Amino acid sequence: MKDVIPDRKKIAPFLLFYILSTMQVGVGILGYQNFVSQFAGYDAWISVILSGLFIMGILYLIFKMLEIADGDLLDIHTYIFGRKLSKILTSIFILYYCLIVITIIRNYIEMVQVWMFPIIQVFWLALTILIMCIYIVKSGFRTIVGICFFSFLLPFVIAPVFLFTLPYADFSNMLPIMDHSIVDIIRGVKGMMFTITGFEMILFFYPFIKDPRTSRKWGYFSILATIILYLYLIVLTFAYFPPDQLVKNIWPTLTMWKIIRFPFIERFEYIGIAAWLLIILPNVCLSLWIASRLCKRIFKVSQKGSLYFIVLVCLVATSFLLTREQVTFVTDIAGQMSFYFIFVYIPFLFIATLIAKKVRNHGKGS
Amino acid sequence: MSFFKKNNSQNLSIQEVFLKSEDFKQIQFVNEKTNKPFTLTYFSTLIDEKIFQENILSYLQNREFHTFEDIKKILPIQEVELIDDNKKLEEKLLNGDILLTFEAFKDEVLSIPCKKEYTRSMSVPEVEFSVVGPKEAFVESINQNINLIRKRLPIKELIIKEYEVGKLSKTRVAVLHIEGLTNEEDVKTIRQRIENIDFDHLNDSSYIEQIIADNTNSPFPQFLDTERPDRVTSILAQGKIAVLVDGSPHALIAPTTLVEFFGAFEDYFLNWMISSFFRLLRLFAVTFSILVTPMYVAVLTYHYEIIPQDLIGILVASRRQIPFPPILEVLILETTIELLREAGARLPTKVGQTIGIVGGIVIGTASVEAGLTSNVLLIFIALAALASFTTPVYKIGNTIRLMRFPFIILADIWGLLGIAIAFCVLLTHLLRLTSLGRPYLEPIYPLRISDFKDSIIRLPFYKQSKRPLYSRTNNVNRFSSNEAQKKKDIDE
Amino acid sequence: MEKVRKCFSILLISILLTGCVKREVVDDIYLVEGIGFDGGEKGELTGTVMIPVFLKDKPPENLTLTGSGSVTKSILQNIQREAAFPISMGGLGVILFERKLAENGGILHLVDAFQRDPAVGTGIIIAITERPTKEIFSGHYGIRGNANHISHLIKHNIKVDDLPTTNFQRFLADFYQNGKSPYLPIIDKITDEDLRITGIAFIRYGYVVDSIEMKDAFFLKLLVDKYSNGLKRVKIEEGEAAVRNIRSKHKLKLVNRNPYEVHIEINVEGIINEFTGNKITPEIMEKLEKQFMNDIEKECMKLVNRFKEKDIDPIGIGHFVKSRTRHFDFDKWMKEEYKNLIVRVIPNVRIAESGVIQ
Repeated sequence: MKDVIPDRKKIAPFLLFYILSTMQVGVGILGYQNFVSQFAGYDAWISVILSGLFIMGILYLIFKMLEIADGDLLDIHTYIFGRKLSKILTSIFILYYCLIVITIIRNYIEMVQVWMFPIIQVFWLALTILIMCIYIVKSGFRTIVGICFFSFLLPFVIAPVFLFTLPYADFSNMLPIMDHSIVDIIRGVKGMMFTITGFEMILFFYPFIKDPRTSRKWGYFSILATIILYLYLIVLTFAYFPPDQLVKNIWPTLTMWKIIRFPFIERFEYIGIAAWLLIILPNVCLSLWIASRLCKRIFKVSQKGSLYFIVLVCLVATSFLLTREQVTFVTDIAGQMSFYFIFVYIPFLFIATLIAKKVRNHGKGS
Repeated sequence: MSFFKKNNSQNLSIQEVFLKSEDFKQIQFVNEKTNKPFTLTYFSTLIDEKIFQENILSYLQNREFHTFEDIKKILPIQEVELIDDNKKLEEKLLNGDILLTFEAFKDEVLSIPCKKEYTRSMSVPEVEFSVVGPKEAFVESINQNINLIRKRLPIKELIIKEYEVGKLSKTRVAVLHIEGLTNEEDVKTIRQRIENIDFDHLNDSSYIEQIIADNTNSPFPQFLDTERPDRVTSILAQGKIAVLVDGSPHALIAPTTLVEFFGAFEDYFLNWMISSFFRLLRLFAVTFSILVTPMYVAVLTYHYEIIPQDLIGILVASRRQIPFPPILEVLILETTIELLREAGARLPTKVGQTIGIVGGIVIGTASVEAGLTSNVLLIFIALAALASFTTPVYKIGNTIRLMRFPFIILADIWGLLGIAIAFCVLLTHLLRLTSLGRPYLEPIYPLRISDFKDSIIRLPFYKQSKRPLYSRTNNVNRFSSNEAQKKKDIDE
Repeated sequence: MEKVRKCFSILLISILLTGCVKREVVDDIYLVEGIGFDGGEKGELTGTVMIPVFLKDKPPENLTLTGSGSVTKSILQNIQREAAFPISMGGLGVILFERKLAENGGILHLVDAFQRDPAVGTGIIIAITERPTKEIFSGHYGIRGNANHISHLIKHNIKVDDLPTTNFQRFLADFYQNGKSPYLPIIDKITDEDLRITGIAFIRYGYVVDSIEMKDAFFLKLLVDKYSNGLKRVKIEEGEAAVRNIRSKHKLKLVNRNPYEVHIEINVEGIINEFTGNKITPEIMEKLEKQFMNDIEKECMKLVNRFKEKDIDPIGIGHFVKSRTRHFDFDKWMKEEYKNLIVRVIPNVRIAESGVIQ
């Protein structure tokens, strides 16, 4: 049942930093300000910090589970529930990651439709992106990690550009601090969910890391880096927009780009949106890789074949989402599912693993 | 008189084949002292007439000999050899040896090396010319090339292993590495691959490069080729492997990475600050060259909002009369430039220069005046073409020029998004490429900061005390770094 | 062979199909650089667009097209009917509103179209005009087109002179901010080649309710902008000095609640550019400083009281108080507390230099 990965297909531990960082930066970062500030208002930056802490805790649980089961999520399920049940449980994740792929691609296409090309048809752009992803996923896990690395550089290169909004910034927008109750702030954490998910994918590629114990610290660093990025961005957003204007904007990050001018480039947002393709690419590719690999391990089909099939399914599903409401609906479902997966299912699984470990030890002892 | 061992039908037919060539000579001579005849067999076009007349024939005719030992004593030539194998006889004959058959030898034949090699005299490197530094270049003779290398690496650890590749061409291929420095696996891999080559006729090292490359479906070269012996020896000292091919003035080097293709060897002869600046300039030039024309197409067709207010007047005014959309304009000009380059390459020098001037100036100016293209675009295209010629290695320059076209087409389909898509595809392709099993994009990915000291920038020599990580050598230290960098306080 | 044929046909189709995206080749469109709205009858507005026509080696010609409608998009549609090329808003740099229209009909519903359009940037200039925008656009200003001239005029006046920072983003942010009111510059045409900024208009819920002249704009800038610079004349009995304000900052301080009392500290650092009297001695410098401080206090207080009267708040005192108060009630502020607000202006002037001579 356990898959043995040849050493040359494994990646160095420090690369985990790049993978997890890119996973957490996707389409969400362009519009998350509204979701977070829905309940917590302009104190939502505290929610961002809190969500970072929560996630570090969850990551700790994940690492512990993976070490005990020594494999990926399927192995954890097998450890706790035995083979048959683990297969059924893990298959749910195939659907989950298909949903993630659909959500990311459709959101990106919507952004392109609104900001760049109003007439573009969903089908063709989705087809092109998915074909590109097939090319990347077929090259193997190491290539996906390579794309993660380059996609990691991009937000951190673009981040300083936001400093051009400082002349219009009014940091007193966020005063007085803690004008909202703690409960509201914690509800704001829920709004961060869909944006911040992605780090749990380590549950699926843990066996591909050389010397996994040393990669742990890189995992925590990556969460730190992403939270700093999100915090930086949300503080600048809150300083730039008064609350009533923020609510009106669907993609506040993009609107902030409208005011940036360079000597050669009058409007930065077109370049930003095109560059964002590189940022969503690893998210989609890794999700496809996970989904097809799970198919391979559970149903014993070839990974390539299941990849083609999954891509076809995602393409068809994406083309059916035509209106803004449908897109928001699907994104909401994905967000809810991520929230329950990360904050409910993983702790539950952790406790189950500990219990299973105790049971096994007792079994061995007696 | 037959010179083959046994006078059977098979040997006779082989001899018949030889006799069909006019330059195959079998002449009988008589030794004046012993009055015994001997036959010399050779290809008249392969032997050195002078050596033959002075050093061989006169001795054989005038001095006395009865046995093999005598001939060895009288002939002032070292490698005389007794042969009794037919296959070897063929080889020796075709290699320019003179075969001596003598009654007393019975079944054996004596071969006397007498080869005349016509080779170009050493000239200045054409592609990798450097203003400062040595100006020696490889020639087509592998012996001469190996000589140039050995004199720069006079150590016993420089191991040269030769192979014979190609059924028809029987080309000599030499694999060089430094024992104790180079990774054993790499050496084995290269040797294995060369041994496995099954080809009929090899002309040049680039044939070998294409056959043994990791990935033949990529326009990016996976071996570095160079015509400078100093570059080869310098890279051998870093722990890599060189392949020399007889008949080719270019040596192949493996493993290699993408950033190596942007470093000219001249960088090592200049100050490190200057050469770092030049390397960065080259990198910028290549990026500019690939991106400027697609950006022109994308921005003018879809995203005019990006153009700054003041520039938009110039661009629109220049395009006023043009009947074509930007994509056609760009494709026409790009094709023209490529045609000019191809035509200039085919023509002899004198005519080629005229065509260059005619093509460049007249066609360019005339098309702008006629209103077929805009002058702004002409400047961009000219700059892009110029920038693509800054690459020190010729092969990657061609790749860069080729890369531009998919970008242009995708820019026309989807504007800036198309350029982003093309870039991602290119990036994936580069990530997949390996050179001898090593990632092609090292040291950028996987990130090896210590290797940056000699990639996009070049740090001073005292900082380069370690060999590059990706060559996985056994001995990482080049020299002692402590001695090189003694720290002193002020006025000490 | 099959594969090659397939690839080739895909390539051919892809070039022709162009991914079903709308092309806007830059020389085949009418690039709108400025748009102006004039009031009409019964809610019908007249819109004028300014399109530069670029010619080789000549400054661009200004083409104006007019259309009428009730909302922005219908006006544009109307104009499209007389335009030879598609009208495109991506290059929009200037939006003008006639003052009459802004006072009676309001400008908010017109601004909405530009906020919604992703092609329109937020760094563009909005301004109010005294006379109909059609007249303004029909002049010939500058060497790079009318709209370009207008936006440069305003932008450099913000940088070097007394105009406080203003653009689309500033306008929207001030508008949406609770406890702050937006303001816009007023421009007017003097001759066919001359355009001038004549004042600053204050907007309340989208209607122009008040305006001041440029000579008072210096003090407004001190109060409204984060950092300010400009030129002011200070008169003392020894002569008149022109003080260039290099740097100034203002800080708001909440001193009391019930009723709210806010102190505005203004720090000015300036140099003397011109002096009509004789020598400038340290005593004269001090006198100038004192006089300047008095001027600032007087004029700023005048402005503050004027704002209170007209129920507008460009300085943003409401927003400031909110940032210092928990569970701030904006309704109460707007209804009563703003009226009862006590404001004190505390200026602090330091004249650093007086040029190369005394």
